[in-house]
Amino acid sequence: MSIFLSHEIVVFLVIEVILLVLMSIAQANIVVILRYWDFEASSALQYRLEKKNYLINTILYFTVATKIILFLFFVQSLNSLSGVVPGAMCSAGVVGANVYGNLLLLVKLWLIFGFGLWLIVNKLDLAAVDFPYLRRKYWLYTFLFVGVVLEFFLEIAYFGDIPLNVPVFCCSVVFQAPKLPFGYTQEFLVSLFYGLFVAIAVLNVLKNAMASFICNVLFLFVAYYAITYFFGLYVYEMPNHKCPYCMLQKEYYYIGYAIWGTLFLGIFFGMMPFLIELITKKPHLRLLKFSTFYLSLMTAICTFYVVRYYVMTGVFL
Amino acid sequence: MKQITVSNVDKIYNSTKENAFYALKQISFEIEAGEIVILKGVSGSGKSTLLSLIGGLSKPSSGDIIVEGETIAKLPDRLASLYRYERVGFIFQSFNLLNGLNVYQNVTAPLMLSEWSASQREEKIDRALQIANIAHKKKQKVSDLSGGEKQRCAIARALVMDPPIILADEPTANLDTHNSLMFIEILKTFKAMGKTVLIATHDVLFEESDVIDRCIRMKDGEIVS
Repeated sequence: MSIFLSHEIVVFLVIEVILLVLMSIAQANIVVILRYWDFEASSALQYRLEKKNYLINTILYFTVATKIILFLFFVQSLNSLSGVVPGAMCSAGVVGANVYGNLLLLVKLWLIFGFGLWLIVNKLDLAAVDFPYLRRKYWLYTFLFVGVVLEFFLEIAYFGDIPLNVPVFCCSVVFQAPKLPFGYTQEFLVSLFYGLFVAIAVLNVLKNAMASFICNVLFLFVAYYAITYFFGLYVYEMPNHKCPYCMLQKEYYYIGYAIWGTLFLGIFFGMMPFLIELITKKPHLRLLKFSTFYLSLMTAICTFYVVRYYVMTGVFL
Repeated sequence: MKQITVSNVDKIYNSTKENAFYALKQISFEIEAGEIVILKGVSGSGKSTLLSLIGGLSKPSSGDIIVEGETIAKLPDRLASLYRYERVGFIFQSFNLLNGLNVYQNVTAPLMLSEWSASQREEKIDRALQIANIAHKKKQKVSDLSGGEKQRCAIARALVMDPPIILADEPTANLDTHNSLMFIEILKTFKAMGKTVLIATHDVLFEESDVIDRCIRMKDGEIVS
């Protein structure tokens, strides 16, 4: 049996091919626009480019939004593939089935953040009369398009190389390491997690976009390890179950979607004001309050599991 | 003060194909604020196309259209809608009224998106109905009106937002002489109100009227005089 015969993968890859074709058409037109665009001109060429611009915006709005939704489908598909891949009990086994899995996941996350940024810049560009950010937004898209092509080849390589006859390692082995990364202690990691969260909340109130951006980048890594190596233990109620994926499963009421979703949304809105300002040269600080909201929600969910476990058992893991 | 400036405008259909058709060729003219101008020419000369470009309903293939200092030809769709809503009143040959509604409801329609209070709306509706001389029929269904009354209802609807520019496309083509003369009478009120009016027509009655400031003659997409 080939993994390509799995329903989820067939649907996923067909949608990816359609999106790639649409994005390639858009990219070909973007090259022409970037070369000849002159908004001040009222020549026939410029009017044709303006018409093309609307067409491309429609295509890209659709494809970019679909890519973001498709990411959720990808995560869900990985979960369901754990029933097909021998040895895999959750996405950890499926992602780690070959060398491409983790790289693909990282590229996808990077693209989701990039497309989110692109959608915001696109909205700001279309809100103005003279398309002030047109060139910058299309350069950003061109950069992301390279990532999309790379992502597609990684997907083919990844799905094509998942072994279906040889058992893979899963989270029980992959995340079994008794020590935390970089030699951190649990206390230090949790202190860093809450400390950075408070720092981000304060910086967001003070509307310091650059400092918030830096703290959010740090928090992304700290929160990943804190959720996997500390809060996850309380979600699973097992001292040795250190897995970022199992919490996405039904047994844990899909709480992983809420935890990782709020984390990524919070980080996204925390990073965007600084990046948008870099592109548009204008402050867009109102997104920071969304960052505070989502990160507070994520912290509350994580803390709830720890408190609940302590109240129920009287001990910490 | 120049209110409308049209410069070197082309409108080409199927521009990239062999059967490219030039609806407008290098059109240039200016209209002062408060002027009443007619675009005269036979069917197919490009009058309606030109009106649709000035009204922001479509975009030229090349050239500039500047209204009150703003380049209309390059407005994004969202802002073009706003431009039409706030600054242009349209009067069509076939009236384009909502037949299932009465006169009052038709005239109210453009105000539904506005932020004016109910009393302000009532004031505007009453004023538009009075100017168009259709207030006495305001409770009547549009489908029961005569051609002349329908046109006056359309005029009231075009006026209710109090736009500075009125564009009329063959407004008397479906009217008899009496109603056509009534329309021309209403133009005098427009003039007194300081409205800029551009009328596409081939009706000779307009040329005989002293309310018309200027006549632009068109033929095969070009201005001939």
